[in-house]
Amino acid sequence: MVKETSYLDWNNSIQILNKAHKADLFVLIIGPKGTGKTSLVRDFAKSKNAKLESINFSLRTRESHLIGTKTLTNGTVSFEEGLLIKSMSEGSMLYLDEINSAEADVLLRLDEALDDRRQITLKESTGEIVKAKEGWFVIATINPLTHSGTKELPPQLLSRFPVRIRLEYPPEDIELEIVKKHVSGNHDSEIIQAIKLANILRQATAVEELFYSPSLRETIAFGKLLDGGMSPKESAKIVFGNVYTQWGNIEYQKVSDIITSMFGN
Amino acid sequence: MQSLQLRNESLVEITTFLVRRWSERENITVEFSDKMETKTRLKENRVILTPIEKRMGDNFQRYRQFRTSLWYEAMRIKFCKKILSNDHAFGFILNTMETRRVEQLGRKLWKGMDEEIVFNYAYMFVSRPQLHTVYGKARIVEAFYQYFMFGAFKGEMQASHFERIKKASEFAKKIVDESIERKHDTDWLEKNVNEIIKILDIDSLLTIPVSLPFMKVDMIVSEEELLKFLIVISKNKEGDFGKIDPKAALSGENIYDEYKVLLDENKKNDNKGLTSESIGIQIPTITNVDETIIYDMNLINNLKIKFRELKSEWKEQHLSSGDEFDEENYIEGNEPFFTDIKKSIKTRIVILLDHSSSIASDALEYKKATLALCEVLAYLKVKFAVYAFNTHNRAVICWLIKPDNMKWNNSSAKRLTQIVANGSTPLAEVYDKMFPILQSKRPDIFLTLTDGEPSDPDAVRNRTKSLKRLGISMIALGLGSNTIRATIIANNLKHLGYEKTIAVSRLHDIPSKVIRILDA
Repeated sequence: MVKETSYLDWNNSIQILNKAHKADLFVLIIGPKGTGKTSLVRDFAKSKNAKLESINFSLRTRESHLIGTKTLTNGTVSFEEGLLIKSMSEGSMLYLDEINSAEADVLLRLDEALDDRRQITLKESTGEIVKAKEGWFVIATINPLTHSGTKELPPQLLSRFPVRIRLEYPPEDIELEIVKKHVSGNHDSEIIQAIKLANILRQATAVEELFYSPSLRETIAFGKLLDGGMSPKESAKIVFGNVYTQWGNIEYQKVSDIITSMFGN
Repeated sequence: MQSLQLRNESLVEITTFLVRRWSERENITVEFSDKMETKTRLKENRVILTPIEKRMGDNFQRYRQFRTSLWYEAMRIKFCKKILSNDHAFGFILNTMETRRVEQLGRKLWKGMDEEIVFNYAYMFVSRPQLHTVYGKARIVEAFYQYFMFGAFKGEMQASHFERIKKASEFAKKIVDESIERKHDTDWLEKNVNEIIKILDIDSLLTIPVSLPFMKVDMIVSEEELLKFLIVISKNKEGDFGKIDPKAALSGENIYDEYKVLLDENKKNDNKGLTSESIGIQIPTITNVDETIIYDMNLINNLKIKFRELKSEWKEQHLSSGDEFDEENYIEGNEPFFTDIKKSIKTRIVILLDHSSSIASDALEYKKATLALCEVLAYLKVKFAVYAFNTHNRAVICWLIKPDNMKWNNSSAKRLTQIVANGSTPLAEVYDKMFPILQSKRPDIFLTLTDGEPSDPDAVRNRTKSLKRLGISMIALGLGSNTIRATIIANNLKHLGYEKTIAVSRLHDIPSKVIRILDA
């Protein structure tokens, strides 16, 4: 069973979300992968006792996933609502994850629903107008453009989310606390070392010396491997080092040298 | 010397990466020089290293020393406020104390360095002179250095001197410990150097003879001998490092895997058929050039943003047949299948940069623009090779800046930086030199950047014709100081048989124009 771990709110994101929710303003969360965007939203929905509908956007996301399609069941044509329509009519919370990986035409349909009238014309069905129920709330996330497969969000859509939260990698001590929530053993000093390593690699990626920056998921994985009895150096190689082989031996050597100089035997 | 050269290629890349990560500073450059001892110029953000081959021991041991001394320099960059010259006693003593201070500070984060540091100490000790070979008061300073660093010295010392040295060394150690404990910096250490000089009873401007490890490059140290040194060192250093197994320090297993990668990379780069040297193309060899001067980050970043979409990524396209059926599109009457297409520039290009004297006045701008072009091509993952030509000692030389099978990195930038604009434009001669390479590689486009009329137009016409016959698309970029001049040059080039000629009057436009060609 997967243990649910609550989000550690180190930069007051929940407070901002609360205020936005109260003022009925939609929220956009911007940040690199693995900074806890999804956990934040999940926790927030829970605190509001709201039902959370989520869509994970990709190149393959179609309008029909959002709006719905006509289906033929037992000889009758019916309209099966997509998640957008469903959450609008239910007045639940809608989570649009990685919204900037979708194609522009899909996003334009979203635009219609998100403007101030909060309604959409169902041209796919009978042309009726679906109005959002009171309490309907939308949170979207985007990855920074450096992330592969991401596109610039059209400005009109961007303006539908007037509250924007930047989520960066947390400072060292906070990251330690987050990792510790997932780890049972006491390996503080090793985990700190791994977080330092992750930060070094993140910095290197920021100046394009490397092609990949490790996320919080990786530091958590590191801690879990330690729990399993693996040595810090080996865990670091497995979690942080080996991935760079993708870009050739030299790239791998660079990172593994950093690991070697950070972790003694 | 080809293999050595290529070896430096990967080395420059890795050492630059390591020194930047270790020191946490982005703009440090590395160069190798066999003319001076390893040192760092803080103001210039530059580390100058004694090359690997000038160090002692077998190849692997040399690499280990090289790597550890790089680490020390990185720690200096991180923790030192200034680095004085080693030529005089004052600076020498300060630097010696700083070495110990940065070592202890650095080890807090870089916990895997201990064995390497101890191993390096053994070789440092081996490379120090016997005390009786150092004359005058410099001997006292040398003895202080050895006693302070290794806890022992080579040779004998007068009893009265020894007392002084012991006292000075203990004082220095106390100062270093205190500086770490109380987080004092270089300035504070500096204030205490005079006290040490007083204890040693020397003049602070006393000249210290250079002790270069590579002066003894051929000296062979047997493994047993080295182990003996290691046992002494690890015992003397037990207070700082805890228990270090001398045998483990000697074997250096931790580093061996990485060293092997370097060796493999070396082999990979060797023997790729035609060596460029055998056909008269040379590789710029100077490594002590500062390539950062030709980096125009603004230009590079703007270009990256501008051409970001060309960076290979998956793009959806609708076709009449394909992997997946899209009913929506089918109903709407469009082509119903969609397939992901990898969008990237597949054109392979060879670029030749004119470095004749006419470009000399704008050489820096020209280099910045061409470097930005290379950076962006690398960013877009385009397969490209870069050559340049100039005249040296009255002979035209074709330089290899970047072969197509190597990654663009700072050593390629170093190569580009050092090409001096000089001489005329003997294009046909250059084409002749490059012909064998072009014939074997057959790029899609061969692009010549030039700012003048070639001195041998008829011959050029011949060569372009034969290159075109190979299926290579010949394109020329005519550079001129203003639009009219650029257009004239481009027009003249047109008569030389190029399939396409483009005029450029603003050097900054070079990258965009080239990328447009590739994208077309």
